[in-house]
This record gives sequence, structure tokens and C-alpha cells, in this order.
Amino acid sequence: MQEIVKTPLAPIPARIVEITPETPDTKTFVFEVEGRLAEAPKPGQFTEIYIPGVGEAPVSICECLGDGRIAQTVRSVGVLTDYLFKLKEGDRIGIRGPYGKGWPLDRLEGKDVLIVAGGIGLAPLRGVIRELEKNRGKYGKLTLLYGARTPSLLLYRYEYDRYRAIPNSEFLLTVDHADETWKGNVGVVTQLIPKARIDVEKTIALICGPEIMMRFTIKALSEIGFKDNQIYLSLERRMKCGVGLCGHCQLGPYFVCKHGPVFPYWLIKRYFWVDEI
Amino acid sequence: MFRGSIYVGAFKELKSLFDHIKSRGYEVIGPKLEGSAIRLKHLSDFAEIPYGFGDEQAPGRYRVVEDGGRFRNGPDSPKRLLYPPELLLFTVKPDLSIEYPSHEFRKTALFGIKPCDLAAIRIMDDVQGALGDQYYLQMRKNLLLIVENCIEPGDTCFCSTMGTGPIAAKGFDIAYTRLEDDLVLFQPGSDLGVDLLSELRLEPASDEVIDRFRAAAEEASSKARAEFSLENLPEVLEVGVDAEAYKKIAEKCFGCANCNMVCPTCFCFDIVDEPELDGSAKRIRVWDGCHSYSYAQVAGGHFRKSLHARYRHWVLHKFVYWIRQFGTFGCVGCGRCITWCPAGIDIRQVIKDVLREVEMKCKR
Repeated sequence: MQEIVKTPLAPIPARIVEITPETPDTKTFVFEVEGRLAEAPKPGQFTEIYIPGVGEAPVSICECLGDGRIAQTVRSVGVLTDYLFKLKEGDRIGIRGPYGKGWPLDRLEGKDVLIVAGGIGLAPLRGVIRELEKNRGKYGKLTLLYGARTPSLLLYRYEYDRYRAIPNSEFLLTVDHADETWKGNVGVVTQLIPKARIDVEKTIALICGPEIMMRFTIKALSEIGFKDNQIYLSLERRMKCGVGLCGHCQLGPYFVCKHGPVFPYWLIKRYFWVDEI
Repeated sequence: MFRGSIYVGAFKELKSLFDHIKSRGYEVIGPKLEGSAIRLKHLSDFAEIPYGFGDEQAPGRYRVVEDGGRFRNGPDSPKRLLYPPELLLFTVKPDLSIEYPSHEFRKTALFGIKPCDLAAIRIMDDVQGALGDQYYLQMRKNLLLIVENCIEPGDTCFCSTMGTGPIAAKGFDIAYTRLEDDLVLFQPGSDLGVDLLSELRLEPASDEVIDRFRAAAEEASSKARAEFSLENLPEVLEVGVDAEAYKKIAEKCFGCANCNMVCPTCFCFDIVDEPELDGSAKRIRVWDGCHSYSYAQVAGGHFRKSLHARYRHWVLHKFVYWIRQFGTFGCVGCGRCITWCPAGIDIRQVIKDVLREVEMKCKR
């Protein structure tokens, strides 16, 4: 007997409706999904972007714009992303998701929020900043600490005035290596922590960036009194299937695609410090 | 005839069972000598099963010998059938619409698989089954399981340590044991098994035969043992995460992923794109393994670049993480990863070495 066999791994079509260049190797794409995604995407979740004949890559969701539109910031680092960069507004791609657990917006209600981001790590947090801006009364103080290697690698510079205008907020920037245009802080992002006014007791910290940056950030936060259950971080792994089937993204017993990519720190603490676990 | 009871018959009853299964329209897959290995292949005739052949298995060594002995597992496991090495998932047409393939799912009998492989199927039920792999579930629905108990386990077998063999306890339709050349024990494990065995010329096993079966089973069980126990094994292995033993293994390991491929439970896969001339693309699921270099590689980074970390992940996944993910160990003790390792790495020895290191560390 012939049976049609389906899988949850098929993409649905989406149209590129807007492309914003961010840095020399990064662009933000707005995709308009034709049809319906599995669920309404939340900040911190990700999708798998597909181009026929090229392949797939996981990309975090930076903002849900409503009407089936999602903004995703992509760095051109591999085969799929290089190809995506050649596409234009109006071109169609495949997309599936959203997958994984996003940032714990429920837990942030009534709390101060500390965001520490490095490089492209700001992308999955842009939606959180937008949510805090939109529903300002629901949340306490927003502290945003953001660093990149060089000024030209800072994401969303056109948004900064808007971030600075958010009531009850503090926004500090730094770069590892300054150039002649740069007048601000120089140094790694953890050096911003002592400069910020943080009421540790009532704060939840959200961290995203390279793993080494997240390790130093956790150390610095622990030193000023943050408890493990006040810290959330978003991990990168090879999230090939997105639904906990293919095995590639395992961190200890966790499938990062399904149990993460945003984890409460206490949950993964024992694995997070073991190199190449 | 009752489930679980043991019946005896002559060797020709085994052939008769095979023929009855065939006549009921089953596609029969079982051990067959092909080239220089015993594979799991389509069988058209009972005589294709290489009874009378044995094998020599040791770390990195496999030889089939015609010595009147009892062959063990070859490189193939039921995974090959239920979870094929390559499977077309769907085709994406140029307009981005999806075309799903249709497959023919025939009633299939696995004839003469070993208890460890039966255990592996039950583990796969918890993995592919629970995760909703439709191809797996369709294949599984139509599967008749005829298991051959082992009374002469090989030198790389450690099923009794893993609690999966050498005698099958449950989950089969029929289990049989070749106790002597012309004395076969049959045990039905399902209503279908009872039905099939009712067609054979069998009689209930006498107490004397059952005693001999028990003695043979006990001897086999003591042979198929590794020098470690499962007690606290996951906890101790986690304490030994930094063990030097993994680094020593990395000096021998090629990272070839043979062990992943022959493992009856390893489920990791990759998806590759095969472009067609008309602008459509096939998405094909292929086996992947945690030992291969690219396994944990991402564009612009690598999360398990060192060989020792990849080998460690394999051990910890089988013996630690699997329990937390799916409730059982991910290893059935079939020994294939030992036999088919071109470097002759013996996972039993690695675990022993890690445990010893942890013990020494705790004494200090």
C-alpha cells in the first residue's frame, strides 16, 4: 500500500519585503510569510531559512512586526547566508518555525531588566527592547549594555536615539577597538557593568553574544550579587532540524533547538563551563 | 499454546516457520552472507540464512568462518530498515510548493535478529516513535519480529551488562533458540506469534530441556559481560567529564563515525539538498554521526573541534544524556562499535578507564 509520508521539516514560502544593511557583513531582512507559521513568533526564538538547492540555516527572530511579517538580522558567514545576501526585495525563500524557547517575558514583569549583548547578539534581543518600550508600565528599569569589536560592527545604530528616549532606562555602548570616529567607551562589554546603575535584587539579566563574552558576563554579574536564577542566556549551536530530532545541537542532555536557545542559567550551568562538552 | 511458554521442535520447523511467514505475504529480512560479511538482507529462501557459519569478532576485526558455529551480528542493524541511511523527505518545487513522496509499506518480518537488536528497536520506538517519524512508525506498524536468542555470544558482546540479552525477555512475536543442531526452542511473545507457531509441529518443552536451556542461557550471560556495572554509571561518568582516558582515545580515533553508522540506536541525521534541473530541490535525510568533524560545526565556529570531545560526547550521550532524554540507556551492548572500529577502540575499556580515573580522583 502506498502511503504519503509527511514531515514537520518542510518550509513554507515567504517574500523578502525589506532589506536594511546593518554592518559590512550584516543585513536585516523583513520576511512576509505566505500562509501561517506554526505559532506566533516570540523574541529569542528562531526560524530555519531555506533556499532551494542551497540549504537551510537557523536565524534568530529579532522582531515580530505583525501581519505575518518578521524581521531577522543575518550575518553573512556561510553558504546559505552568502546566497541570501544576493537576493533582493520581492524574492521568495522558504521558512519554517518558529522554534525553541524565547526570552522569559512573563518573568520580566515588574522587574528591572538588564540586557548585555555582544556583536550580533543584540539581534535576538531587539524584540525584547521593543516590548519593554511598548509596554513601559509593565516593567522596571531597562539597562542596555552593548559592545561590538569595532564601531562599524554595532548593529541598529539608527535605533539608538529611540533606545535612549525610553523612560527609566540607561544605555551604554562600548567597542573593543575604537577608530577616529569613536568618542565613547573602549573595552569589553563587561567593563560597562560597574558603570551602570543596577539594583541587583530586582533585576533579571538577559545575555546574548559569543560564548566567551557570556562566560565573562556571568562571572561579572555573579560578583556583584546576581543569583543563577536571575540570569538567562541564548546559546548558539548547530540547530539543523529545529525540533529536537537531528541531534546536532546537543548541550549535555538538552537539545538547544527545543529546550533553548534561551536557557535559564541555572539549568545549564554544569555544562556551560565545560569546554567542548 | 500460550505466550511465554516454551516449545520444542526439530530444525526443519524453523524452515517451516519461515515458509509460513512467507506464505502470509511478508517480506522477510534476515541474515545473509554477502561478500565477506553477514548482512541483513531480503531473503527469498530459508536456505539463504547462513546457519553453520560462525564469525570471529574482536576490536577492529570481523571474519566469517564456516565452522559449524553460530554467527552473531554483522554490521547491519534493524535501524537500516526502519530508519534508512538515506530518505527523501520531500521535494521543493520551483514555486516553493512541497511534494511529499509516497512509500510502499509492506508487511515485513525481521527473521533471526538478536535480542540486542530487539532492544535497539524498543529504544528506537522511544526516540523515532515518540518524535513522530512517520516513515519509522509506518514501517514499525507492519513489522513481525522473530528473534534468535544467543547462546554463544561473541567477544565484543556485552548485552548482559546492558540488560538486553543474550535471551530476549519481551517485545518479540517469536523468540527461538538453537539449543542443539536439531533441537530448537520456540517461545511465542504475541498473539500473532502463537498463531504462527500453532502451524508447526512442536511440543511443550520438557523440564529437562528447559533446565538445559537455562544453563546455556546462564553461561552465555556470564560471557556477554563488560567489566563495569550500570550502578551509578551515569553519575560517575559525569564526574569523570575531564578524564584523561578520552584524550588517550583521541590519539587512536580517526573520527570516521563508523561506530555511529553501525550503532543500532544512533539517530542523528543531516539534511542535504539535491538540486534538480527543473529548478526543484530534493531534501534528503542522511545519517550523520557525532564523531564526524562537521557534526557540531557552525558557520564561523565549532563547538566540538577536538576529537576527544567528540568521542566523549558519544559516550556521555549513550550512557548519561539518553536516560534524561528518553528514559533508557542509548546502548544495547551489541558490540558493533567495537568490532567495526578501524582503530579497534573498545568502548568497554574506555568506560572502565574513566571509572578507574574517577575512583583514583575520589581517593585523593
